[in-house]
Amino acid sequence: MSGDLHTLTGAYAADALSETERLAFERHLDACPACDQEVRELTETAARLGSAVALPPPAALWDRVRAEAAATRQLPPVADPTPLSGRGRRRFPPLLAAAAALLVAAAISVTALNLGLPGQGGRSEGPVDLVAAVLSAPDARRIAAKPGPTGQVAVVVSRRRGQAVFEASGLPEVPAARTYQLWVVDRSGPRPAGLVEPGGAGKVTRLLEGRVTGSEQVAMTVERRGGAARPTSEPVVVVDLRA
Amino acid sequence: MAHTRDVSAARPGGDDSLDRLLALVARGDEQAFAELYQRVAAPVFGLVSKVVRNPSQSEEVTQEVFVELWRTASRFDPARGSARSWIMTCAHRRAVDRVRSSESAARRDDLAGRRDQGRPYDEVVEQVEASLEREHVRRGLDALTELQREAVVLAYYGGYTHREISELLGVPSGTVKTRLRDGLIRLRDHLGVDA
Repeated sequence: MSGDLHTLTGAYAADALSETERLAFERHLDACPACDQEVRELTETAARLGSAVALPPPAALWDRVRAEAAATRQLPPVADPTPLSGRGRRRFPPLLAAAAALLVAAAISVTALNLGLPGQGGRSEGPVDLVAAVLSAPDARRIAAKPGPTGQVAVVVSRRRGQAVFEASGLPEVPAARTYQLWVVDRSGPRPAGLVEPGGAGKVTRLLEGRVTGSEQVAMTVERRGGAARPTSEPVVVVDLRA
Repeated sequence: MAHTRDVSAARPGGDDSLDRLLALVARGDEQAFAELYQRVAAPVFGLVSKVVRNPSQSEEVTQEVFVELWRTASRFDPARGSARSWIMTCAHRRAVDRVRSSESAARRDDLAGRRDQGRPYDEVVEQVEASLEREHVRRGLDALTELQREAVVLAYYGGYTHREISELLGVPSGTVKTRLRDGLIRLRDHLGVDA
């Protein structure tokens, strides 16, 4: 997969990737200075294509822009805008935006499928018997995310037990300084639900921390190693348990 | 990637002062915002119109872009690229978001329609004319292979994903990705020496 990723610089600079592909590629950029440099150059190049089709807007547009800007609070400068990698143009939106993005993404990106329970694969990170209890609960429901660059992801939830299990295979590796982190999102916002350390073939099966009733969404973001208290990036995958 | 070039440094005039304008805008300077608008409204509106096509939606998106520039000016980092590139990236992203969110049936119909019409890039190439910048870019596009040019034009001016382009052109999506990359690299080299 990583050999293929290097060829995505052009598609990224031209915004020709899907949202999930873009997120996966931005993770790759964190770990690949050559691609990062090429992306900068090709983004400059693409901007020239944009300038070449300049067209004066209607004069009245400025009045609307000025009025809306006057009513819009500006973001403060960030003391250290790029804490980890010297990069972060779109990767670390402010916390509130990230929380909002979770909900928006949840609304648009999830396809719910009712598949049978698969054989349990990969590493178990929750207590094995608790995972098994959820998977075999009589009211267990399995909700799968739409397949994408983050591999196959599903959540099995038992409303009666108030617990859920996260399952994935084919998760791409994250840079050593990063980790996948799970969130349970309800009306009061996202709360941390554990870190994900994929085993072989990007497989993982783990219990979500905390109570899950089936009326939430489960999201996964890429965070600094050790995890975060609030999501600091857009989710790479969202599963809507209400579906 | 053996050598790297600073494309913005090769460009005459302008971009340094755009950097400075953005820094002033970040501090809430409305005069600087007005000047910034005057400088880049036409490129932004032109690009957005090219991707979005619908005139009233293009105005809406252009307005969104400028309010976003106002809001996030403090996040512009000159070490990461030129101000113009940052602005055009924001404009392109917003335009693409708009056409993809209205995706669904209408857009798929459009895709099918375009496939039946055949090669849609000629239309754009013909419009890219006149001014010096347009001439540079037009010659740059001319220097690409046909498949490179189609991929670049459909992605950047059409707002299509590589999968949609693959469907439009009837080539594998892996081929589209590599043509996008080597097309833009060729353009970069062309514009770099030409500017």
